[in-house]
Amino acid sequence: MAEIVLFYLLAAATVAAAVGVVMHENPLLCALHLVLSMLGVAGLFFLLQAPFVGAVQIMVYAGAVMVLFVLVLMLIDTNQDDEKFSGGNISALTKGLSVGVLSGLLTSIILRTPQSLQRSVTYEAYEVIDIAKLLFTKYVLAFELLGVLLLVIPVGVVALSRIRGGTHDR
Amino acid sequence: MTVNMMIGPEHYLIVSAILFCLGLSGILLRRNMIVMLMSIELMLNAVNLTFVTFSHFNQNLDGQVIVLFVMAIAAAEAGVGLALAVMLFKKFKELNISFFEHLRG
Repeated sequence: MAEIVLFYLLAAATVAAAVGVVMHENPLLCALHLVLSMLGVAGLFFLLQAPFVGAVQIMVYAGAVMVLFVLVLMLIDTNQDDEKFSGGNISALTKGLSVGVLSGLLTSIILRTPQSLQRSVTYEAYEVIDIAKLLFTKYVLAFELLGVLLLVIPVGVVALSRIRGGTHDR
Repeated sequence: MTVNMMIGPEHYLIVSAILFCLGLSGILLRRNMIVMLMSIELMLNAVNLTFVTFSHFNQNLDGQVIVLFVMAIAAAEAGVGLALAVMLFKKFKELNISFFEHLRG
């Protein structure tokens, strides 16, 4: 019973915070709502008995990535946008409606899919060491490639930040 | 469909679908480049939720390993995107997407 209440609370908080990300006109408030939303997703991870992923979510997303966002927002110091929502060739109403239709379609597909997954068995616990074993045996190549990526990214970012002007003015 | 009070996979999947669509609408509707990057993070989070849901209900840990990969790549993507945003702001003093409509050299 507690699980059901917790799930609905967390889901409502997550979705409400996500709506705040889309709707707020101050980017800093958007960032704070995004932190709230990510904490809600981390709570859902805990409910799904994935504590390690939940902890990593809080540390990496709600911690590091969001600090990066807030830092850049403070560096750039944009005040309110005059035109926060796009007009463009397609009106905002059309875009909102089409996204709503997409979400309805996805929901109905999920609800109509026959249930092949068991739901009432007691799930056996796992330990973090099981994730580590998978990471270093089955996915070791992807892990090494990720290491290369994480080396390339800082170099690319430093190179980007040192570019002065575009192709025309040197 | 019988009314089942248990929280099944479809509950989590619906939350994930709603989060994904909200992120998508953020990308379509907003004009501030940094808010668009935030919306991308929202969509990646929704996909992570789907991975963990199936990982839990299938009793298979592979999903959680892939979530770790997605998180690392999302962090790298956010870093590059923010560096680009800072660079564009230094050059043009502008972050509104409509300002960059005509991207010609």
